[in-house]
This record gives sequence, structure tokens and C-alpha cells, in this order.
Amino acid sequence: MKRLTNSVRIFLGGAVLSYKALFRWFRLEPYLATKIVAPLNQILFFTLLGSFATGPDTASFYAIGNAIQLTAMSGIYGVTMSVGGERSEGTLIDLFGSPANRLLTFLGRALVHIVDGMLGVIIGLAWAGLLLGVDYSQADLLALAFTIFITTVSTSGLGLLMGCLSLVTVNVMFINNTIYFLLLVFSGANVPLANFPVWVQQAAHLLPLTRGIQAARLIISGSSFAQVAPLLAGEALIGLLYVFVGYMLFGWFEITAKRRGTLEAY
Amino acid sequence: MIANLRVVRTTFELDVKQQAVGLFMIFGVLIQPLLIAIMAIYMLVARDPSRGIYIVVGSGMTGLWTSLLFRGTFNINAERFMGTLEGIVASPSSLAAVVIGKTLASVTLSLLSMIFSYGLASLIFRFPLNVAQPVPFLLSLLVMVFAFISFELLISPLMAVNLSRSGWANALEYPMYILGGFLFPILLLPGWSNPLSYLLAPYWAARVLHATSSGVATPGDILLSWGDDAHPGRRVHCGILQTFRDRATPRPCARYSELDVGRVLR
Repeated sequence: MKRLTNSVRIFLGGAVLSYKALFRWFRLEPYLATKIVAPLNQILFFTLLGSFATGPDTASFYAIGNAIQLTAMSGIYGVTMSVGGERSEGTLIDLFGSPANRLLTFLGRALVHIVDGMLGVIIGLAWAGLLLGVDYSQADLLALAFTIFITTVSTSGLGLLMGCLSLVTVNVMFINNTIYFLLLVFSGANVPLANFPVWVQQAAHLLPLTRGIQAARLIISGSSFAQVAPLLAGEALIGLLYVFVGYMLFGWFEITAKRRGTLEAY
Repeated sequence: MIANLRVVRTTFELDVKQQAVGLFMIFGVLIQPLLIAIMAIYMLVARDPSRGIYIVVGSGMTGLWTSLLFRGTFNINAERFMGTLEGIVASPSSLAAVVIGKTLASVTLSLLSMIFSYGLASLIFRFPLNVAQPVPFLLSLLVMVFAFISFELLISPLMAVNLSRSGWANALEYPMYILGGFLFPILLLPGWSNPLSYLLAPYWAARVLHATSSGVATPGDILLSWGDDAHPGRRVHCGILQTFRDRATPRPCARYSELDVGRVLR
């Protein structure tokens, strides 16, 4: 029982502390700019571009796709910086020197960003409803909330994997930016997957978000939870796969860095 | 005058070398515009292949703006972080000359994004791309360089005076794509926003480049756009930069150490 309590404490305490320590620069003004205004601008731009391309009737396709894709802002940028920040801030040695459970330590880095990412998607969907006329009257809101949760978790899984890569490179923002834009293009947020060549469609299904965006669109158009359950199961599996690979990499990095004495060397 | 030009040239040469190997520039000039071009191609060209040149110009403009916005934000701040701002401000050369040199480097490298987009659309997607009015198009590119330098002279000091404002760079990226009419006409926007577009030099640049590339530009249109691109407002921008230099030197610097750390960290 004590072991379980300790594990929970490490998981929750580590999650909150790492967020507070590494994002100490994140005050109200940058938060508003990054999490409220920038998402609105992204949704507006791609919805207008989409409307220009395919007509005003398709606005909700782009608005919903981009609102859900916003979870990548926390899931990719936030989580990656949480893991990679341990190295750049010089706390990696203490972290690897501690007896704390590695899996819980690793997963804890994503916790606050999952909550933050879900909030970001909700704000995005609210903008879409208020300014672009997306109609939620047919939507099963509980199913939509669950979809947002699963999609955010799976995207954070990719973020954890990217975070591990950021432990062996100094170019974290380059990786983050590239992944964010790849998701924007190939997750189906802006281009229907059917428009792409078959091999791109297959690759897109290996990304987080792809099924989550499809599921959200279906739920908002009136589909039931049962109808989108297979999509959500696939999304969750993809997320778990990324977490697993990321954790393996995290473990490999720890062992290799300790053996070579390169814990803080890039 | 000659001394200032020498400073511009030296800063330009140094900054081109520094930026050309920087991953941020590679992302801003190459990866992001290409991904936006791919997205726009699948969204726009599927219905109308004649939009190819429109996408090349538009996605190139997005790369140009993104690079300038972020470079402009960190032009002065980067010197501050590296501890070289004191030396630059204390030197007898004009701060505006230094920023102009840096901006010229950004614009020169950013123009590559249009070339890469052209290459993508013509070589990979095999769209027929012709610039219908090549001479006015090239002259418009030159005028645009001046317009963007003017704009960056405004951004750099504004972002440098208060570090927390740099968070707004993320939020300012898409509004220019929208108001500048880079990838869709501003006619899609509500009428009240059009005067905002008319105030922005990038809007006139995009307008004349789109018109000359597709062959619908009249001499009157071209002259109007050039006039607005190179408007005397840039003198105001230089004035703001001078104000930053004056305010950030001796007394406030001694009292608050503003030059080095910025207000947000105080």
C-alpha cells in the first residue's frame, strides 16, 4: 500500500513540479497569446482556405479538424519540452540518480499537458462554434469529451517519443515544429485523406490524431459512441505504441548515457 | 552614410552565414512553406490546376512572413541573450543599420522559400507554372524587400522592449496570412477587416505578386501596390527603433539593467 502511495505521489508530484519548473516563463500574457489567440488564428486561416477551396458549406470540416489538431500544441511542444527540459536545465542527473519508478516519472511528464491539451481543444471547438457556426446540437458531448481525451493522450504519446529524441539533440524546436506541421498536413485536419496517394493514407494512419479527428467529426455530425469506438480504439493503440517506443528509448538513453558518461553531453 | 552602409553590408554578410546553417531558418524557409504548399496543392489545385502559380507565390509569402516575424522578434532579443546588445548600442554605428543588415539577410534567405515552392509544384507535382508578367514580377519582388525591411524595423524594437511580447509572435503568424491575402483573396473576409489589410505592406506585396504572376496586373495596379509597399511609414519605423535605442541607453539601463534582461524578468 505504501509503495502504491509513493508511486502515485511521484507520478502526480513529479508531473506538477516538472511543469512548474520548466514552464516558469509561462505567464498569463504568453499563455493567452499561445493558447487562446494563436489557436483561433490557425482555425480561422485553414477554415477560410478550405472554404475558398471547396465552398463555404465545408467550413465545419476544417474548423473541427483544426480544433482537434490543437491538442498537438500541448501534446507535442509541451511534452517534448518537459522531457527534453530535464537535460537542458541540468536536472537529468538528479532524475536518473533517484530510485523513483522510471515509467511513472516518464509518464508524469505528460500529465499536465494532457489536461492543458484537452482545454486547448475545448477552447478551439468553442471558437469554431461561436465564430464559424459549427453546430453541436447533434453531438453526444460525453462521447466527444472521451474522444478529445483519447486523442490528447495518443498525441502526448508521440510527444513523449519526441521528448526522448530531444535528449540526444539540441534541436528540439526544429523537431517539434516539423512534427506539428506534418500532423497539420497528414492527419486529415485540412486535407481529406482520400485526396492523398494510397501510401500517404497508410502512413497517415500510423499518426496520432488521424482517427481522433475522424471520430470527432462523426460524433459532431450525430454518430453514436458505438459507431466511433473502433476509431477510438485504434487511436488509443497508436498512442500506446508511441508511449512504449518512447519509454524503451528513455530506458536505452539512461543506460547508454550512464555507461558512456554522456548524460549531459550532446 | 558610407559608414552606415558598411555596417549594413557587414551585418548582412555575417547574418546570412549564421542563418543559412540555422535549423530555424531551414524550417521557416524550406520545410514550413513546402508543407503549406503541399496542403494548399491538395486543397486548391485539385479543383483548378491553374491555381498552381497562385500557391507558389502564396506559400512563398507565408515562408517569408514567418521567417521575418520570428527573426524580427528575436533580432534584438538574440543579441540581448548573447550579451552583445550592450556593445551594439554603445557603438557609434546606428542600431537601425544593424537591424537593416539583419533584415536584409532574412529577406534574402526567405526569398528562397518561393523558389523551393516553385520547384515543388513544377518538378514533383508537374504543374504548368508561368509567370505571366516576369519583369513587373521581379521588380515587385525588389519593392517587397524594402516593404518587409520596413516592417521588420517596426517589429524588432517593439518585441525587444518587453520580452513577454515575444510570445505574441506565435499569435501574429496566421493573421498576416489571412489579412495579407497570401493564399485566398481578402474578399472572403468581412468588409470591416479590409481597411486593416490595406494598412499592411505584405498585403500590397502579395496582391501585386499574385497579379503579375497570373497576368492580370495593370500598370495602375502595379504602381499603386509599389507605392503602398514603399510608403514613407518606414521612416516612422526607423523612428521607433531610434526611440528604443535612446530609451534603453544610459539612464534606464543603469537604473533597471533593461538592456540586458528586459522588463519581464525584473
